Amino acid sequence: MRVALRYLWSFAAFGLAFGTLYYLFTEEWVGSVALWFLGVAPAIVALWWRRHGPSAAVRTSDDAEASPASSEGESLGSFPAGTAWPLFLVLGVIVTGASLVYGLLLLPVGATLITWAIVGLARESRG
Amino acid sequence: MSLTTERRHPVPSPADRPHGGPVAWLTTTDHKKIGLLYCVTAFTFFLIGGALAGAMRAELAGTGNQLVGPQAYNTLFTVHGIIMIFLFVAPFGVGLANYLVPLQIGAPDMAFPRLNAMSYWFFVGGGVLVLLSSFATDAGGVATGWYLYPPLSGPRYSPGVGPDLLILGLALIAISTLMSGVNVITTTFLMRAPGMTMWRLPLFTWNAVVTALLGLVAFPPAMAAFVLLLFDRRLGGQAFDPLGGGDPIVYQHLFWFLGHPEVYILILPFFGVITEIIPVCSRKRLFGYTGFVLATLAIGALSTGVWAHHMFTTGVVDNPFFSAMSFAIAVPTGVKFFNWIGTMWGGRLSFRVSMLFSIGFLLNFLIGGVTGVMLASPPLDFQLSDSYFLVSHFHYTIMGGSVFGIFAAIYFWWPKAFGYRLSERLGRGVFAFLFIGFNLTFWPQFVVGLRGMPRRIVDYAPGLGWETPNLVSSLGVVVLSLGVLVFLVDVVTARRRRTPAGDDPWGGHSLEWATTSPPPEHNFTALPRIRSERPAFDMRHPEVSPSSPPMERS
Amino acid sequence: MRRAWTGRLAAVAFVAASSCSSSFGMPRGSTEQGKDIFDLWQIFFWAGIGVAAIVYGLIGWSLLRYRRRRNEDETLLGRQFHANVPLEIIYTAIPVVIVIVLFVLSYRTERTASSLSASPDVTLRAEAFSWGWRFGFPDQGVEVVSQPSAEGVPGPEILLPLGETTRIELTSNDVIHAFWVPDFLYKRDALPGRINRFDVTPTDLGTFHGVCSEFCGLHHAYMTFTVRVVSPAAFDAWIASEAPAGGLA
Repeated sequence: MRVALRYLWSFAAFGLAFGTLYYLFTEEWVGSVALWFLGVAPAIVALWWRRHGPSAAVRTSDDAEASPASSEGESLGSFPAGTAWPLFLVLGVIVTGASLVYGLLLLPVGATLITWAIVGLARESRG
Repeated sequence: MSLTTERRHPVPSPADRPHGGPVAWLTTTDHKKIGLLYCVTAFTFFLIGGALAGAMRAELAGTGNQLVGPQAYNTLFTVHGIIMIFLFVAPFGVGLANYLVPLQIGAPDMAFPRLNAMSYWFFVGGGVLVLLSSFATDAGGVATGWYLYPPLSGPRYSPGVGPDLLILGLALIAISTLMSGVNVITTTFLMRAPGMTMWRLPLFTWNAVVTALLGLVAFPPAMAAFVLLLFDRRLGGQAFDPLGGGDPIVYQHLFWFLGHPEVYILILPFFGVITEIIPVCSRKRLFGYTGFVLATLAIGALSTGVWAHHMFTTGVVDNPFFSAMSFAIAVPTGVKFFNWIGTMWGGRLSFRVSMLFSIGFLLNFLIGGVTGVMLASPPLDFQLSDSYFLVSHFHYTIMGGSVFGIFAAIYFWWPKAFGYRLSERLGRGVFAFLFIGFNLTFWPQFVVGLRGMPRRIVDYAPGLGWETPNLVSSLGVVVLSLGVLVFLVDVVTARRRRTPAGDDPWGGHSLEWATTSPPPEHNFTALPRIRSERPAFDMRHPEVSPSSPPMERS
Repeated sequence: MRRAWTGRLAAVAFVAASSCSSSFGMPRGSTEQGKDIFDLWQIFFWAGIGVAAIVYGLIGWSLLRYRRRRNEDETLLGRQFHANVPLEIIYTAIPVVIVIVLFVLSYRTERTASSLSASPDVTLRAEAFSWGWRFGFPDQGVEVVSQPSAEGVPGPEILLPLGETTRIELTSNDVIHAFWVPDFLYKRDALPGRINRFDVTPTDLGTFHGVCSEFCGLHHAYMTFTVRVVSPAAFDAWIASEAPAGGLA
């Protein structure tokens, strides 16, 4: 997947270069570290992608002369119909937060909702 | 269920038969529904944040405390800032990206539909916690300013749970942003239709991608700052307390490392919006597509290196470095302005409501940009920072820019999303009230800022020449409110009228205009051939289509 | 469409009305440092006017000249040019030159405005606290302190000598505050645990309003003070009358 890799390496190079330039000018650590990690993050993704990403064949998306027929039979992905777990997860977080205001009695309620929702999400994505 | 190119419209099996009504909306993973949910929720927060601003301006209309006392006022401007930035403009941009990016690249949905749903609900959760932090706490709400600078936001000077809840809310919003950012980037890289190379992407999608990247880059350091602040507040940490060897300036660095890219997150999607509208309403091809893409990438890149221009007056950062970077970032924005003008030049301009808002955007944002260049100069910043000049500058960019872009987007894509039109007549009224009201409100703030009025004050002394501009500014809010009211009337009456819009009411360029209004489930029953950045236009105007391949890049 | 013009005319009227005082309302600077900053402001201000005039002119021309006439065939297209590389390069290069010039001018003005003289004539210690100011002239043993701030309570007043360089050493007792005298065109943050130093060399006699310009909590709005610039002789007389008992205001 050459296109994605190329962009990822560019972002990594940019972050590392800019961070170095910044450090040389200012010798200020907080910003320098932040900018260097801005470069490290896409590098990590790029390394993973190179190892585990699909083969280097050009995809129809990147083929300037492709037409809709070129992608005959290609799988577009899986698109689950609907899920209620995110709603319950967030309800749990809200109740947990509200416990700071309205009383710690709400804390176990919130924690239970969160746990239940996470379990539900995990099981749903396995299926 | 799995889709292939033949089975773009699979027959639903009993197991995935959707429920109707509210349950469908609460459990949806369809990017179009989630996009609409984001936009409606964000707009609701706009109304709340606007009401808070109205209260502030009512207080500032005259000297002396008439309506709200200092504690309430300090809460008002804190919450107003958080709501408008994190709960209105940014999520509206995410909502637009959610709705449009898969359509514009010819994909059936986002790469991670369940993650998409999660990011929406985390946004809602963050919003609820923010509201809770403002109003439902004993000593009034959080009142530290939206930056939450320590030591003011630390345990000694802001005890009480307000700031803790706010930090928790911001954490949820940050997670939401990271999730949607990952989604947009992955979708754009991996799910483009055949022939839709990166250099044929519509500008809105390009801007959405750079916005997503900025979100991924910018939020983590701010989260670190918030977590450290939480440690200071609750667990005896000393990260930002000078008495314990800590340094409040570290917080500022970490916060503004987010804070500055955040304002580009606020504006870039709307640069994208008007870059879609102007060519369509000029009946011309976009001028300088390559320049636009390079300028967008440059703005994204440079925006990571300008953060301490918010810290010029601290005296502890390298002012020239940040000044140079801040001046530099004016150049790509200027290039965009000339490209927009170049797009209108030689065209046939229709002044539809979306085009009026786009023109309003250009007029307002120019002022925001020029005053921004002034603020990039440290010696000028020594006078202008933390005054109403600064307040007016960022309202010219965020409100005169992004919010006008929001209304432009609403009027442009409403027919696509719902299948019926909003009223052009009422829309022109909305534009007039908003444009006049906005300038009435914020232009005097430049004046009073130059006369020495600092920001974030509940009251001011008479005799300094601040009364008249403040009064005019407060009257402007009345006009703004009328504009919003007319807009709400338009929304309600248009729904009743249901004037059908058709697939392509405006003569659109990008792929969303090549499908029905509203689009079917999974967006396209058939895709056109893609040979340029405006495939829908090419499809309908084969006589104009380029026969030789246009901008060929990877 | 007409409404867009009405709005713009209203805006222009405002600009005209509000520019009628010292260059758009910016004080001219009552210190040497402030006057340098004001000169820089003039350059930026007129450059901004120029840029706005050009851009608004081009936009206005496009809107007028290229608007679709009434009853014109809706399906007519505009001229389909979409690039002009030499032009694009020019209008990228010119802004680059402009910002380089603006940067260099800013850099030089900052050097002079923030430069610290080798031997200031007077030293003023300014300590901000929530919510007031403790001003001290350590060499002379004089101190001026705020009453607790509230609506209607005047802040402390200090005197400074005309034409002499006062070194201000600024710090905070608690949260972050900031010292701003708008007529001096200069503000600096008051940071706990740090001392920020800057010089003011007043060039005008008068009474100048000062504020705290970094939000610091409940009574931030009332944390005002006054700086009165007097002749060196009057300053010495004031010092003598305030010392040595501490001179609490």
